[in-house]
Amino acid sequence: MSPRPPASPSTSEGSHLLRAEGLALGYRTPLLREVTLEVRAGERIAICGPNGAGKTTLFRGLLGLLEPLGGSLERESLRIGYVPQREQLDPLFPLTTLEVVLQGAVPALTGLRRHRSEAQAHAQALLERLGLAERGGTLLSQLSGGQRQRALLARALMVRPQLLLLDEPTSGVDLEAAAAVFEQVDRLAAEEGVAALTVTHQFDQLAQHVDTVWWVADGAVRTFPVEAFDPAPLLGRRSGDRSGGAT
Amino acid sequence: MSLLEAWEFFRWSILAILVAGTVLPLIGSWLFVRRTSFHGLALPQFAASGVALGFLLLPWFVGQGMFGGLPLEEVAADTHDALNYHLAFAALGTFVGLGLLVLVGDRLGTESARVAGAFAVANAVTILCAHASPLGEIFVHGILTGESLVVGVHEFETLAAVLILGAALLIWRHHDLVLVSLDRETAAVLGRPVRRLEALLVAVTGLSVSVGTMSVGPMILFGLLVLPPLGARPFARSMPGFLGLSAALGGLAALLGLTASFRIDLPMAPCVVAAAAVCALPGWLVAGSRS
Repeated sequence: MSPRPPASPSTSEGSHLLRAEGLALGYRTPLLREVTLEVRAGERIAICGPNGAGKTTLFRGLLGLLEPLGGSLERESLRIGYVPQREQLDPLFPLTTLEVVLQGAVPALTGLRRHRSEAQAHAQALLERLGLAERGGTLLSQLSGGQRQRALLARALMVRPQLLLLDEPTSGVDLEAAAAVFEQVDRLAAEEGVAALTVTHQFDQLAQHVDTVWWVADGAVRTFPVEAFDPAPLLGRRSGDRSGGAT
Repeated sequence: MSLLEAWEFFRWSILAILVAGTVLPLIGSWLFVRRTSFHGLALPQFAASGVALGFLLLPWFVGQGMFGGLPLEEVAADTHDALNYHLAFAALGTFVGLGLLVLVGDRLGTESARVAGAFAVANAVTILCAHASPLGEIFVHGILTGESLVVGVHEFETLAAVLILGAALLIWRHHDLVLVSLDRETAAVLGRPVRRLEALLVAVTGLSVSVGTMSVGPMILFGLLVLPPLGARPFARSMPGFLGLSAALGGLAALLGLTASFRIDLPMAPCVVAAAAVCALPGWLVAGSRS
C-alpha cells in the first residue's frame, strides 16, 4: 500500500475538509440514516458496498446534488473537483479534449464569456501533467478509455480542488490506465493535500491507493482503515476476496 | 424567374428564409447533441395547432372589438394586429405542448414515444380547429404546404429579431450550455444555474419555432432544424465548428432551395428541404464510409 500522505501544511491535525453528522440521505425517504463521517486533507477514501446499498446516494449527497433529509453537512467554501463516469459523456458532442478540460474553468469566464488566458495556460499544463499534451485537439470521443479518464481528471483539477470525487474511475479501463489515474491522485494527495473520495466496485484495483474505506450497506456507513478492511465477510464470501463492490 | 428577379416582389420572403436557413440549424444543432431532434418535428406542429386554435377563436375576438371593429375578412388579411395575435397563439401552442411534455416527465414511456404521441395529438388538433374555421382551413393548408410567398415586412422583422436575439443568447452562453448539456452533474457541482440554462434553451427553441411557423411554415422548420446538423456532424472537429458548419449548410440550403423554387416554379418549402438534404449528403456519405 502507498504510504499515507502527510496532511496539507495548512491543515492542522484534527481539522477536516468535510464533515457529516447524523446525515440522512435519500429520495423522499432516507436510504441512509445517521451518517457521521469526516474527510481530512490528503485523505484517500474508497466508497464500497453492495449494489443498491446507497453508494451513489452518499456520493451525490456529498457533492451537493442531493439535499440532506436530516442531519448536518459542513462543506462550505470547499472547492470540489468531480470526475464523473466517462460513459456519462455523450460522444455525439464534437468536443476536443482541450474544450472539455476548459469546462472546469466555466465559472471563471470573463465578462465577454471567454476563457481567461490563465485558464488556457492551466489547462495546457494539466494536459501535459497527465500525459495528454499531444491530445488537446483530439475529439474526446476518439481518446482511449484511460485517456478520457485522465481528461476528466484534468477538468476536475481546473478548479484547484481541495476534495476530488471520482465516480467509478476504473470502470471499463485496463489496469494500467486505472493505475495511471490513481498515481496522479496519490501525487495530488501527497504533494498538495488534496483529499480523494472514490466510488468503486473494484476495490482490489484501488486498495493500494486508499487510506480509508467507507462501507455502505444496510442503510448505514461504516468506516475502516484500509489495513483492517476485508469485504469478503461483509459480502458473505470467503475471506481474502477483495472485490469489495457489487455482488 | 431568377432569384434576382424575384427579389423585387418577394424580398421579405427571401430574407426570411435566408435568416431562418442560417439560424435554425444553430438551434437544431443543440437539439441534435442533446438527442432531442425529434422535438424539431413536434414543436412546429405544436405551434401550428396553436395557430389553428387562434383561427378558430378569431371570430369571437373580432366580435369583442379586439381589432378596432374591423370585419373578420379584413382582420384575416394580414393586419399587424392579426399577425401578433397569431404569433401569440403559435407561442401558446408551442409552450403548452412543451409544458405538457415536461409535466408528464418520464412517467410515461420513452421520450421519443411521448414526443410522437404529442405530435399526433397536435396534428389532430390542428386539423380539427382548422376544419371548424373556414379561414383557418385555408391558412393551415397554406402553411403545411410551405406557402411562404406572403411574408410581409412585419413578419420578417419579428422573425429576424427573435432568431437573431435567440442565436446571440446561445452564442453568449455557449460554454455554459455545452457544459450543462454534456454533463449536468458537473455543471451543478461547478455552481452553474442548470435549470435556468435549460430553460433558456427551451425558450429560445420555443420562440424561434413559434415565429418560424408563422413566417416560413412548419415544413421548412422541420427540415432546417434537423438536416443541416446531420450533415455537419461527421465533419465537426469542435463544438463551434459544428455550429458554424450547420449554420453554413442551412444558409446554403436556403439559397439553393430559393433559387430552384423560383427558377423551376416549385413550392418554396419542399425545395428548401430538398436542398438541405442535398447539402447534408456529403456528411451522410462520410458517416456511412466510416461505419
